[in-house]
Amino acid sequence: MLMHTDRMGATAGSEAGRQGQPAVQLDGVTKRFGNSVALHEAWLKIQPGEFMTLLGPSGCGKTTLLNLVAGFLEADGGEIFIEGTLVTETPAHQREIGIVFQNYALFPHMSVANNIAYGLKTRGIDRKQIARRVDEALALVRLDGFGDRKPRQLSGGQQQRVALARALVIKPKVLLLDEPFSALDKNLRGSMQVELKQIQRELGVTTIFVTHDQGEALSMSDRIAVMSAGRIRQIAAPGDVYRRPADRFVASFVGNVNVLAGRLVERRGEVATVSVGDMRLEVPAAPLAKLAIGDDVDVFIRPEHLAVTSGRTPGSLCGTVTTQVFQGDHIDLYIDITGVARAPVLLRAPGIAALSSCPAGADVGLTVGSDDVVAFPPEAREP
Amino acid sequence: MIKRPFLGWFVSPAGLVALGLTAAMAAVFQFSLRVYIPGSLDVGGFTLQNFAAMLRPLYALAFWNTILLCFETAASTLILAYPLAYALVRTRSSAVRSFILIAAVTPLFLGEVVRTYSWMIVLGNNGFLNTLLVKLGFVERPVQMMFTAGGVIAALVHVTMPIMVIMLAAGLSHIDRNCEKAAESLGAGPIRVFLTITLPLSMPGIVAGFSTAFAWTFSAFATPQLIGGGRVSTVSTLIYQLGFSSFNFPFAASLSIIGLALSLAVIALLKQATRPLERLASAT
Repeated sequence: MLMHTDRMGATAGSEAGRQGQPAVQLDGVTKRFGNSVALHEAWLKIQPGEFMTLLGPSGCGKTTLLNLVAGFLEADGGEIFIEGTLVTETPAHQREIGIVFQNYALFPHMSVANNIAYGLKTRGIDRKQIARRVDEALALVRLDGFGDRKPRQLSGGQQQRVALARALVIKPKVLLLDEPFSALDKNLRGSMQVELKQIQRELGVTTIFVTHDQGEALSMSDRIAVMSAGRIRQIAAPGDVYRRPADRFVASFVGNVNVLAGRLVERRGEVATVSVGDMRLEVPAAPLAKLAIGDDVDVFIRPEHLAVTSGRTPGSLCGTVTTQVFQGDHIDLYIDITGVARAPVLLRAPGIAALSSCPAGADVGLTVGSDDVVAFPPEAREP
Repeated sequence: MIKRPFLGWFVSPAGLVALGLTAAMAAVFQFSLRVYIPGSLDVGGFTLQNFAAMLRPLYALAFWNTILLCFETAASTLILAYPLAYALVRTRSSAVRSFILIAAVTPLFLGEVVRTYSWMIVLGNNGFLNTLLVKLGFVERPVQMMFTAGGVIAALVHVTMPIMVIMLAAGLSHIDRNCEKAAESLGAGPIRVFLTITLPLSMPGIVAGFSTAFAWTFSAFATPQLIGGGRVSTVSTLIYQLGFSSFNFPFAASLSIIGLALSLAVIALLKQATRPLERLASAT
């Protein structure tokens, strides 16, 4: 495996790193389809070797962005750079990009080996070297000996490996992955994710990964760009996107979250204090800059940051357990807190103790055991 | 088993037609094995002589000419129809799509005789094309187009165009566009993408369209008869002459049987060739 890494892994990414250029840079890239704006002034810098995920619901512009980087679409505004070179007008076949599609798009009339060799043939590489590099690529994706098969004779997971090998064998400047796991069944998806991440890290290839699955995004990425309605909402490491979402869209799209009605009590520099019922919580002040003291706010709390207290402690919330869902390693409690939350609040209790201590109908106290609470202005006030 | 109460009724008209067709074919086959009695519409006993006579140069040549004509027609249609079908499938403008579809399919709705006569008007020595060529000074005297194989092919291409466009378009629309995009990302320019991906993947459509055009041309009668004017002899015009001028029904019938067998053989051959053709095109 390591030997292949040495040969295949000398990707252009590391060269660009020496020059100090981002592997991919988007400067205010805009794309319109008719009257609708598919991508609105996207600014993005991806570092060499980085695994960048574009995360968002369908129609958020993530695939448009991918197609713009690949050169399948022309930008209506802004500039795209790959390794410091302006490529906005460069046709796709001169961009030296590897792409893996959702449906793999293997050439059905060619053998696996010829699929992988395709990009090498277009580069006019001699036969012997092609054969050697195809074998290396097959070994990299653990498909040694499958070269003579036709794509239709392979399973979904194997087809995906071939697609990956075909994209990587040309030593692309950037690897683009367009929802590559969505056609795989759940078990296979997990193992392919681990494998892809491993290969990506070994080769050090700059990767842009498009997905609508927040779990995939959180587990695989170096950084995530969360997108919605043609705009990039936040670019940050997975942990930061989860703990410090930039707006209410990011907060509710990434992970589960409870929205509680609160009130702005105090603001001191970077930190603001909000009250939810009798409870007082400290949140980042920046998103609340436009509000006055005493205004309504929405407080976002993750299910695993809530804890059940025994009895009534001052400064806790009171509620009634409506439903208890046993999940194996933890228990989901849905708790009705009248006046604070419209829907029952989800609480994730680790272990199985809550199974007996918090039956449905029990009155419980709730506390927040984390600093990772954020608050945003109520929906109508958001620009 | 699901009960389909009306299935029998629904199938019966088509069944009757099929039955009639089979009976007619059986009759033709029966005739092809009979002895021709000159001057009589009745036929004699059974013989294989009719089939032996077909080996004579005159008839063998007619077969050869017909196959050649069919190939030339099908090939010309393919070359003319491919860009049309490609544009039909790939254009984003619905106006362009409608225009191509209407222009390509209209010939289907013209009667064979009407269509052939309009070609005679176009191709004649004082026809539209010659008048135009002479007026524009490309030629001094009218070019002979009527009563030539070229004229017949031009008119036959018109006939086979619609089915070719439809079959090619069906084949092209099944191609996964991501395959072309993948090839592009791997460094293939537009021409290379077309030759190595689009063309081989459209081979099923090409073979289907080509075989159909071939079979239609093989059985075409009015066009070679009227535009060829007796100087372009095909199997079908020969059958007509033998059957309805000489009233040699047995020989006409045996010609029909061999013609049918031959066109079926060619279609089967073309179908067999799909895979190798795909491989050939992708080997570049």
